[in-house]
Amino acid sequence: MTPRTLLRLLAIWLGVLFVCSVSILWVVRIDRTRPPTGPYLISVWERGQRRARTVVASDPEHALVDETKRRGVQRIVEQIVDSAPILGHSWLILGHSLAPARDGLSASYHGRTAYASPDDLNKLEAYEHLVHWGPITLIMGIDVSKVLGVLSHELGTEPAELLRHGNFRRFAVISDGAYPRDFSEADVTLDAVKSSVLEAARYLARNQRRDGSFRYELNAVTGGDSDDYNYPRHAGATYFLARAGNQLHDAQLSRAAVRAGAFMKDRATQQCGAHACVGEGGQVDIGSSALAVLAYAELLAGGNEEFRAPTLDLAAFLRSQQRPDGEFQHFYSVSEQHPIDIQVEYYAGEAAFALSRAQRVSGDPRDLEAARHALSFLVKRSPLFLGARYFWGAEHWTCQVLADLWQRAPDPVALQFCLDWQAVNRNLQFEAPPAPDSYDGGISRGPFMAPRLTPTASRLEAAVATLEVARAAGVTAAQIELLEHQIKRAFAFLLRYQFSPGPTHLMPNPRQLAGGFPGSPIDLHVRIDYPQHAAGALLRYWELEQK
Amino acid sequence: MRVTFGVLNGLSALVLLVGLLGVVQPRFWALDVPLSLIALCLLVSAVGLLAKLPWALRALAVAAWVSFVLGLLVISLIVLTIVFLRGIHGDYGVAALAVSGLIVALLVPYTVVLPALELLWLKRQRAESRP
Repeated sequence: MTPRTLLRLLAIWLGVLFVCSVSILWVVRIDRTRPPTGPYLISVWERGQRRARTVVASDPEHALVDETKRRGVQRIVEQIVDSAPILGHSWLILGHSLAPARDGLSASYHGRTAYASPDDLNKLEAYEHLVHWGPITLIMGIDVSKVLGVLSHELGTEPAELLRHGNFRRFAVISDGAYPRDFSEADVTLDAVKSSVLEAARYLARNQRRDGSFRYELNAVTGGDSDDYNYPRHAGATYFLARAGNQLHDAQLSRAAVRAGAFMKDRATQQCGAHACVGEGGQVDIGSSALAVLAYAELLAGGNEEFRAPTLDLAAFLRSQQRPDGEFQHFYSVSEQHPIDIQVEYYAGEAAFALSRAQRVSGDPRDLEAARHALSFLVKRSPLFLGARYFWGAEHWTCQVLADLWQRAPDPVALQFCLDWQAVNRNLQFEAPPAPDSYDGGISRGPFMAPRLTPTASRLEAAVATLEVARAAGVTAAQIELLEHQIKRAFAFLLRYQFSPGPTHLMPNPRQLAGGFPGSPIDLHVRIDYPQHAAGALLRYWELEQK
Repeated sequence: MRVTFGVLNGLSALVLLVGLLGVVQPRFWALDVPLSLIALCLLVSAVGLLAKLPWALRALAVAAWVSFVLGLLVISLIVLTIVFLRGIHGDYGVAALAVSGLIVALLVPYTVVLPALELLWLKRQRAESRP
């Protein structure tokens, strides 16, 4: 091949690629900002089920009015703003042709058209189709099977036939539904923060069983309850409830926290060598015990003396798990009675935080030294590695240890570590525009996915702790302002999506979900750690601003 | 140049094989078959070039054309995917664009530049060997 031939070949290739790219962009893009001119989808929802749907070109206020006269019925109007065709009839392309939480899908077949609006897709839980490939879990766009199933049912055909011969369009809507809430940074007032904390704490108290355990994960759109359970998360929820009870002087929350604490103390405590530990089965992790210490210490602060001895015993267990370099052995074999020197994310930070808190109860210098040593280990960074020991992930406990220890054992290296980590988080925050308004302030997990609430919330717990120390340590006003702005934007994101009351038309039992924080705009499940982290961060901020 | 291309093709084959067999888990035929074929072509041409075997230039031509065509195809697919997702999701800022651009930029030297240089060199070799 001569140079001339090569250049000619590359020029042709680039030209074809350019034309194809422009054509694809032109065909698939939709304009979400233009004034809506499309038809109206009017839906009548009752107890979380869509009872009726009509599509009208104008006068939506007169459509399906009679159906809404019954109590508990909601009428939702969505108007199509713009639409674009789906390229081809492939499962793969259809799956990736919708923006999660924002787009609907219409299918036309033999002269009839059926619509799956964003509400329908949320109700179907069809916005994310998870594909497990060995240890990797991939999100392969929407769940095409579910969506084709409902559209083909409405059009009186089979899903495969519809995929082959139907005409598909994606569309954007504006909805009169009240979810997500219109909530900006300016709306993050102390009253709003306190109210949100109370609602989240009441969600947990409402969903507590008689034995003190919680309904672990509620699905807002089905009303279903998960059978799973997790002790670190139970302990974390207990810790938050106890804090909320103490700080907001709410006896009902305090009682719920005592019940949850007693559940761990009486039903989930085992013997790990000479000390007690929390967990089930032949192997326990230190996370459950660490978070139990945090919860017990908070319950003690509320005057529940029965938690003093377990606090001290669990703290001794945590100390016994610490290695000479400050790291912890994260597991203990109950069946063989020995520590297991394996590490996972979170547990080292949780153990350090627990020991710091335990020292306030025990007055034991060994607890303080263990916490200080662990913090120093956690923030030590190699000059040859960009990240940190637990990388720049979601390890949010370290900076809470920093704040808790600051008055007793200030660590400027840890403060710099936390300021740096928050700078990284600022880079990961969605900013609107160009991001959708409702995502502003959320932590991104990729440009093509809806942000999750809990990664934002847990980073916020650390951010507020960092702000507290930054103010005390005299960090520059510019840096503090950056932190405050970042925190308020993230809170606005969380409050937008809190179930206050949430998309009640999609819920069979909205009262049960009130106050909960969902997983994401398209994952309307509430697991016990979602309100714990979100409202835990809000409560920390409320406490800080009260000082 | 013979030795340089031999070493570069050998390294490329090694990177592909280690990446395919050591990093990508579990096995997936749609990746395994084409990547193994490319790696095999590169490896055979590398052995031929370094050992100065009589069929070395022919093997290099096959390896270079296979890499060049598949390289352009892979880059085209990546670019069209980026454009498609940009059309679907709208403007999400420069970060996504930067990451996508980086992926393409990392691939171009191995999938386009190296095989193109090899093809140009082969042309010159053939011209020089003519009486």
